[in-house]
Amino acid sequence: MRRRRVDPAAGARAGALPEAIAALSRSLPSGPRPEIFRRAKFDRPEATSALWQLLFRVLSPLPAGNALASIALEVQARLVKSALCSQGYPRLALAQLPEDGSQGSRELLLALSWLLARGPVPEQMLAQTRVPLGDEMTVCQCEALASLVPPAPHMEAEGPVDVRHVQWLMGKLRFRWRQLVSSQQEQCALLSKIHLYTRGCHSDQNLGHLSVTEAEMLRDPEGGQKVSGAGAAQNLDLAYPKGLHFCTPGMGPRTFWNDLWLVPRLLPGDWAAPLDPGGASACSLLSPLRVLLRTLERESRRLEAVLAWRRAEPVFWQWMDTVLGTCAPEAPAAASQPTFLPWVPECGDGELELVVRELQTLEEELREAVERRRVAWEAKARGCGRGPEWSAARRASRETVEKELGALQRCWEQESGPAPAHGPHRLVRREDGAAGDRDLRAAELIRTLRSQEACLEAVLRQLQGQCRQELARLAGALPGLIWILPPGR
Amino acid sequence: MLPADCSRRLVAELQGALDACAQRQLQLEQSLRVCRRLLQAWEPPGTWTWEPPPEPETNEEDPLPACTPSPQDLKELEFLTQALEKAVRVRRGITKAGERNKAPSLKSRSIVTSPGTTASTPPQSPGQAGGHASDTRPTKGLRQTTVPAKGRPERQLPSVRDRTRAGIGARAPRPGAGLRNQHMAPSAAPQAPEAFTLKEKGHLLRLPAAFRKAASQNSSLWVQLSSMQTSDSMDAAAAKTQFLQNIQTASGGSQPRLSAAEVEAEARRLRKACSLLRLRVREELSAAPMDWMQEYRCLLTLEGLQAMVGQCLQRLQELRAAVAERPPLPCPVGRPPRASPSCGGRAEPTWSPQLLVYSSTQELQTLAALKLRVAVLDQQIHLEKVLMAELLPLVSAAQPEGPSWLTLCRAAHSLLCEGGARVLTILRDESVD
Repeated sequence: MRRRRVDPAAGARAGALPEAIAALSRSLPSGPRPEIFRRAKFDRPEATSALWQLLFRVLSPLPAGNALASIALEVQARLVKSALCSQGYPRLALAQLPEDGSQGSRELLLALSWLLARGPVPEQMLAQTRVPLGDEMTVCQCEALASLVPPAPHMEAEGPVDVRHVQWLMGKLRFRWRQLVSSQQEQCALLSKIHLYTRGCHSDQNLGHLSVTEAEMLRDPEGGQKVSGAGAAQNLDLAYPKGLHFCTPGMGPRTFWNDLWLVPRLLPGDWAAPLDPGGASACSLLSPLRVLLRTLERESRRLEAVLAWRRAEPVFWQWMDTVLGTCAPEAPAAASQPTFLPWVPECGDGELELVVRELQTLEEELREAVERRRVAWEAKARGCGRGPEWSAARRASRETVEKELGALQRCWEQESGPAPAHGPHRLVRREDGAAGDRDLRAAELIRTLRSQEACLEAVLRQLQGQCRQELARLAGALPGLIWILPPGR
Repeated sequence: MLPADCSRRLVAELQGALDACAQRQLQLEQSLRVCRRLLQAWEPPGTWTWEPPPEPETNEEDPLPACTPSPQDLKELEFLTQALEKAVRVRRGITKAGERNKAPSLKSRSIVTSPGTTASTPPQSPGQAGGHASDTRPTKGLRQTTVPAKGRPERQLPSVRDRTRAGIGARAPRPGAGLRNQHMAPSAAPQAPEAFTLKEKGHLLRLPAAFRKAASQNSSLWVQLSSMQTSDSMDAAAAKTQFLQNIQTASGGSQPRLSAAEVEAEARRLRKACSLLRLRVREELSAAPMDWMQEYRCLLTLEGLQAMVGQCLQRLQELRAAVAERPPLPCPVGRPPRASPSCGGRAEPTWSPQLLVYSSTQELQTLAALKLRVAVLDQQIHLEKVLMAELLPLVSAAQPEGPSWLTLCRAAHSLLCEGGARVLTILRDESVD
């Protein structure tokens, strides 16, 4: 049991496995004790509830907090089942487990291993609760914002609404966009100043200056002069307005994850202080400095555990194979899927519909255009002679076109192209703008964003143009009216 | 009036967007408060040099060298050098100054303390210390080397040591500071400390040692983790794939069911394809070919695009059929972002914190503004599509009589074609025949 290294030889298996399991349980947040895993292999009932809770913690998109722990076990179990199902978990036995935590620990162990095999779960969980020491900005536009707070479940619109109300809402939205722009400009200016003034302070030469978090900690290590809300973690994440399409057409605003949020909303401190790893809220008892130190310590311990887990992993998988072996093979999926989540609305089918419709209109348009041009071309081509240089030229054209279209297709086939690294980056101000090879430069990002902006603007203009045509067609049918368009841009 | 379900959807959609913006605004305002406060003159907190007492879990028996933040040390150094100067003068000069020494040294200490409590360390003190006592330079050796050597200051020194030891035991910063104040003569409350602003003295700040140590350990562990990530052991990867296959076969599923997350990802891809294709089609259609070569290429491009559109449609139909036949259990919106294959899974995320380097305020502002603009455009495009889906059918289906239809038309035009920014005017043409 005191072995330090995983020895691939079979004889070492006996010693390395407990270490591997111990490392695993240390590396997961609120990981269960190692013997839970062993009991689960033998499908002991007492291991079940701990594993439900662990799975819930792993699968939930929400940051940890006191609120999460207070959710009933049945609800947790149901959410786990649904989340696993939506990820395509193949075993049906899980779906049929009772939700009171009375049995099924072996199935749950299998589910956990399935998740572990699919992705780097401990690292992801660590990254989710990483202590942001610097001023962070996310680079990618993906919706991987774990600290999202969905909109408050406001009153649904009662009954029909005047279209002018919709116009009013739109105007309000435009105002909010403008407000965001100006607030953000100010924040960037202030941030830049703080970075400038604290040049040369940081112990880490690479960084060179303090971040707002660090400066705030120096200014007020006790938190005695705090203002409401935690000033500690600075997340400049600017992808907020984009990703929050909680309501797609055909889907009501209420989903069960939304319902889940009702609990944290009662404790606003929870999400405002992402440093809170389930311990005392940063606003109340401990000073920011102490909280920061404690969280850093904890994170370092978790990191060490993850490293140990990675080293000891192969042993764990051998063991899991034996666990799987003890299960009876399942019958192929029955035709009916148990819908055990009656209140979940249909998934975003509306999205697919929209795309289908767009593509169909495009297809129509193309069909007409192509026919026309093909006829015109054939007529013209008949006029010119045939010759070797003619066919060579045609072949060359074909090849060019194929290449271009291939490149176009790759644009959406490849998800992120030359992936700019995801996740938050720490902002660092350097006069010369020098950056290591793993670091990003603002200038490059700006270029990428500009091209994205141009692309999106083109799309928007196109859509608007389409609408203009359509409306003109509809309204033009009516005589006796003069339509005065607003002065153009 | 709009029909009820349409209203509900539109209002819900817009309200969602409004809420998202409101949350972001709230975040920004919080951040602004913090930044503004930092840039003003601070109230120098008297105990900001407090050293965090070691946690009971950490086995640090000797907290003194490790946890002492250097500003405090430097302050003490200052005090020591002052005391040493006094001692030298006393030895050289007048004996009766020895009696006076207590008061002036204490007073000097209080004077030293008060500007010292500002966040900055007077830059001379390291120099002074270096000049006077070279072996006091290493802060760790402060107590060990100087205590036995000097006679006169010895009286004050134990008080320093006791205080720090007591400070460790006390665990509360304010009693510690109070202790210090009591030891000395009732020192004046820090008199009119020069206002500390980040602008002038910011570069003198130093992070506490405990924090530095924790942060560097933390970052080196992250670096280790990411380097281990890239060189993932082969057997682990093979074992994992094998296990996944085993589970798949053991569950009797011949083909993995499409997960809702995958459906969503595919739909997203196809949506992107659609907009790219449409852009390209527009370009081609609007281009005026100069010669037959260009015309030919244009034609070929359009035909190729047509084929691609057909392919996409086909994939979409297949997707729809698969979803209809074996419905993946509906995904919760706002599902675990980890599950989305588009981001976290696919691109190997590097775990060690990476830097984003900028060189001027202008650049940072441009960057942030562009990010916001892209996000807003995304939102706008989504809203545009939703509005198109809801309003256009209404306009075409409505009976074109009465003012309500005109209102609808105006509103639709404004929302759809001008982004809600402008409204057109409709005049009734009452031509007198």
